[in-house]
Amino acid sequence: MKGIQTMIKELWNFLCSLKLAIVLASLSTLIIGAGSMVMPAHPEIFGDLDRMTLTNWYAAVASQHPLLTWWLPVAGLLLISLGVNTLCCFCDWLMRLRSRWRKTGEYLIHLGFILLLAGYLWGAWAGNRTEGLRLPPGKSVPLPAPEGYALRLEDFRALTGPGGRPIDMISDLSLLRGEEVVARKTVRTNHPLLYQGLVVVPLSFATETSGFRFLRPGRGLVDLVTGETLELSGQERLEVLDFAPHVLRQSNGRVRRIGDQLRSPAFLLELRAADKQIWKGWYLLREGLPEALEHRLNLRPVGPLENRISVVTANYDPGAGLAMAGGACLTAGALFAFFSYYRKRRRQERPEVI
Amino acid sequence: MPQSDIPLLWSALGANALAVLFYLLHVQIRRPAIWRFAFALVLTGFAVQTLTLALRWFAAGYLPVTNLFSTLFFFSWCLAATYVYFELRYRLHASGLFVMLVNLVLLAAALQRDPAIPALVPALDTPLFTLHIVFSFLGYALFTMAFSLGVLYLVRRVTGSALIPDLSKLRRLNEEAIFLGFIFFTLCMVFGSLWAYLAWGYWFSWNIKGVWSFIVWLFYAGMCHAKFVRRWQGTGYALLSIAGFGVVLFTYLGIGLLLRSNHPLG
Ligand code: HEM
Repeated sequence: MKGIQTMIKELWNFLCSLKLAIVLASLSTLIIGAGSMVMPAHPEIFGDLDRMTLTNWYAAVASQHPLLTWWLPVAGLLLISLGVNTLCCFCDWLMRLRSRWRKTGEYLIHLGFILLLAGYLWGAWAGNRTEGLRLPPGKSVPLPAPEGYALRLEDFRALTGPGGRPIDMISDLSLLRGEEVVARKTVRTNHPLLYQGLVVVPLSFATETSGFRFLRPGRGLVDLVTGETLELSGQERLEVLDFAPHVLRQSNGRVRRIGDQLRSPAFLLELRAADKQIWKGWYLLREGLPEALEHRLNLRPVGPLENRISVVTANYDPGAGLAMAGGACLTAGALFAFFSYYRKRRRQERPEVI
Repeated sequence: MPQSDIPLLWSALGANALAVLFYLLHVQIRRPAIWRFAFALVLTGFAVQTLTLALRWFAAGYLPVTNLFSTLFFFSWCLAATYVYFELRYRLHASGLFVMLVNLVLLAAALQRDPAIPALVPALDTPLFTLHIVFSFLGYALFTMAFSLGVLYLVRRVTGSALIPDLSKLRRLNEEAIFLGFIFFTLCMVFGSLWAYLAWGYWFSWNIKGVWSFIVWLFYAGMCHAKFVRRWQGTGYALLSIAGFGVVLFTYLGIGLLLRSNHPLG
């Protein structure tokens, strides 16, 4: 019995050991320093590290290049060991708080490190990163994570400087859970939308052709975009099911999308009468109106309708709160340690030397 | 940039160069009047640098620390401030020679660069960025001070020169510089991470500069502990301070010059 107790005590002392901390910190420093030297030479491997969570990057990229990336898991293990070491050391201090409370600053720094490490690991494990999410105005775009949420761009403005240089991108965003709006924010540089671990920041913007403007002789102008409906005579309705800026009609008559550049635009239309489908098919502007519509409708193309698309990064990091708490502990600890340093020195308080 | 800056910058450089000369003279002719005059020159140079910084801040409307000229200049200002603090508090006298030599190199390097104040891009337009930079250079300056004290420690050990403070004082000052530097650098990392989270959506970036900043932080965290190990006190600590300065230099300048980085400040 005595033997087990001694062993546990020895193990605890080992885990709390200051020398172990120095060894682990030195080894981590050396391995990260040496390993990072391969990073600039291999942007095809390490260039995606900020675009994905570490876990996703490991599965998708690093595992294909074990020779260049083995140092990362080793560094990770060393840092986790340092975290455990720091945690034990922190607990040891807590148990002696009464006589060692003057070290609060230093130990808040230790706690900060533990929280940061835990927050990072949690985020890397359970988080998700999406770079380059395209948000057309008015549409809800589902988020890959957290599940059940979507973003809707209410309005977008690009701020330009002298010479038309883009300076900032301003997006009025709504965050939806199902149909309910749970957060709203005007997102621009340094002003993200933050919601329970989700952070949405501007990345860039693009212009997208969303439809076409037509003249209906005798009836004025109409804008055809996806979801739009035209009332025809005799209770017939023509609905725009889809729009594609560039399509190709194949020899079998089928229509294939080619790309996002405005080259050969087309609409997928559906003609209904009293909720019964009469006709459905593609209308390629280049070909003119399909036969089924020719005698029902007269449309003369005027020009494309363009939309400003906001392109954002939407990262979900459930560990961010923990990391923020870690940052707060580090700040408080640093300030406390700073102000108590000279006081302790005046009182000739010197820690034990081993 | 305001035209008045140019003569000011050269005056600061001149005062620093003269201070170095007088410190050198003090090594030969040991008269208190000489180190006093040298320190008066350091104070003059520091005052001119402070005025230049204030004028540039006023002209720009923000603390100008966004390009290599202004960071070198700000680094040099922080180092001068650190040295003035150590000299006033601990009376290092001729030991200032080495710090001021480093400072002279920094100022001369700054003057090789374009001092124009660039337009502030929105990503840098936040107090978090300013805090990040201010604390980073305060940390760097204290690590540079520790480096100088480490060199002095080794010189004193080898030569036994009475011009340099005794070993136990140098050891204490070195430990203080490392501790204060670590505290400031911790604050730099916290503000930088918060800024990165708000601007890019992640608080730790794997770009090479981010990785090396973490290495600097971890290295000096290790040093904050090494002083509790008897074997590492004194000479070991002096050597570590010198090695640490190498890591700082590589993080600040080497990465930008030798490797490609996508850190917002290169
Ligand atoms: C990366 C993790 C760590 C950081 C950032 C850190 C930071 C610090 C700092 C800044 C100090 C104050 C030094 C001073 O008084 O000048 C300190 C002291 C100390 N640390 Fe750590 N530390 C870490 C990990 C550890 C670990 C794992 C241990 C466990 C043994 C430990 C044990 C101590 C002890 C015993 C002190 C001395 C406190 C005293 O003055 O009595 N630290 N640490």
